[in-house]
Amino acid sequence: MSVLKTFNKLPELNTANIMLVGSDVSDLEKLSRSIMDENHSFNVNVRLAQSLPLPVENEDSRPRIDLLVFMVNLRSSYSLSLAESSLKFIDPHYFLGKVYFLATGARSSHLSSDLLPSLRKLSASSHSPVLFADLESDSDRLSVARRFLTLLRIAAGLVPGASALFLNTLLKGAPASANEDPPN
Amino acid sequence: MEDSVITFLEKTLQRIPSSSLKSILSEWGFLSAEQLQDLHFQQSKHILHNKVLAFCEENGVRIRHVIQLDMIYNHEYPNKRNWSVYQFSGQQDDALVLNVTEFSQKFKVNLKDLLRHVSIGMKQFEDDAVWIRVAWGDNFTKPNQFKPTYVVYQLQTPYVFISNLNVKHRPLLSQALVIATKHDEIKEIQLRGRCLKSLKDLVLRRYKQSFQTHQLKPLQERNSPERDQGIVHEHAKRLADLKEVATQTFGDGPLPKLETAVFKLETKFKDPENRILTNRPEPFRCAVKFSSPSFLESLKSLVTLGIASAPVSPLLSSIPQKARNHFVISERGPGVPSTPAP
Repeated sequence: MSVLKTFNKLPELNTANIMLVGSDVSDLEKLSRSIMDENHSFNVNVRLAQSLPLPVENEDSRPRIDLLVFMVNLRSSYSLSLAESSLKFIDPHYFLGKVYFLATGARSSHLSSDLLPSLRKLSASSHSPVLFADLESDSDRLSVARRFLTLLRIAAGLVPGASALFLNTLLKGAPASANEDPPN
Repeated sequence: MEDSVITFLEKTLQRIPSSSLKSILSEWGFLSAEQLQDLHFQQSKHILHNKVLAFCEENGVRIRHVIQLDMIYNHEYPNKRNWSVYQFSGQQDDALVLNVTEFSQKFKVNLKDLLRHVSIGMKQFEDDAVWIRVAWGDNFTKPNQFKPTYVVYQLQTPYVFISNLNVKHRPLLSQALVIATKHDEIKEIQLRGRCLKSLKDLVLRRYKQSFQTHQLKPLQERNSPERDQGIVHEHAKRLADLKEVATQTFGDGPLPKLETAVFKLETKFKDPENRILTNRPEPFRCAVKFSSPSFLESLKSLVTLGIASAPVSPLLSSIPQKARNHFVISERGPGVPSTPAP
């Protein structure tokens, strides 16, 4: 089983790599365009995937992935189940602040009532924050792209004094509810 | 000036959107050129309509003029109606050499023979279609102009598109059509939709069909736009494969626009774990309905995105070829269909 490993490749100079995983190809492309369009002082590479595990052919050409974002569409339970099953194929070191969930479609009125709680449970159990966004308008995409670029800079180690784990403890998201396991 | 004519004219005017009011009124040709110039089309709809009504009263408008206006509006916006497709069969010898005036004469005479109070409007728009508008009354009441039936007869083809036909008027209209076009009978085919052009294309096979021949793969393009150089698809090969399957199944060009597909199942219930329903002798009736603004395009996108499993079930992919929307699947038929995987 090919697992995405954190530290088995060398980092490149002034470069950061982000991988977006989600079932909707058009959403992935929209977000990646906005990220690439935004001004950044370092090189950014975006890899797009529909699910993990990744095909073995790309193993050599793939750089070290600094940030993993799982895009979950709150209107489709398929995207949530895809994200859940993909979590198994990640090296545990990623969960120290390099995995984020992005929930889209929260403004829709046809919201299925149990997707958001399951997503929150998933994020609490994997200690990865959930960000909410809508990729419809240009300004929405711009703000999401900026947030991710800031997170990416820190996760790639390009900001002296800050690391992804440090940021993770600050960005705890919703406080843990009573029926969850207490964080150790 | 009768009140009914005025109400009819008002209602017809209200349906026309402001953007095309000018073109429709000029096509109608009932208002004189000075009157048309007098209308300022930037004013509010209410004021405009009152002006038009006043001009029409001056010119002495009658029901037949308003019928013409209604037909022009419906010809411009046929997609607001639900159309069903009918096919003639058993044509007699001189059916192909059909004279339009002869056809309209015969049709009017026949229909008026059958029912005294009908109001018929006929117009030939493009060179190949005759539009007929029938407003039905019965033997004692005047025709109801607000619920007309529209018939579009494609000349040189055995197809007719009918909208808004009441069940009790159906035999009368069918008989008049069959006699006027010199065929033996008319039958409804299981194709229904809103977009008249797509229905015509489907039935006359005018869309770009997909053939199961070997498609030559285009040369791999280089990453042309510069900003795409940073974006890499991990599953690029899989996406390209899916796109190829989608184009093989559905063809390359734009697909005809259908709104629904309905499959009525009359097969036996087959589930080894559920013993209560499985051993029944009578078939388990159920209906599967797909609906979308353009059902075939969305199916093609589902395959391209990988949400529906390819190869697509032949029940769905053969819809453009068979030109049908509504299917009844029985025991001896294609068997239990499978819906696309979630």
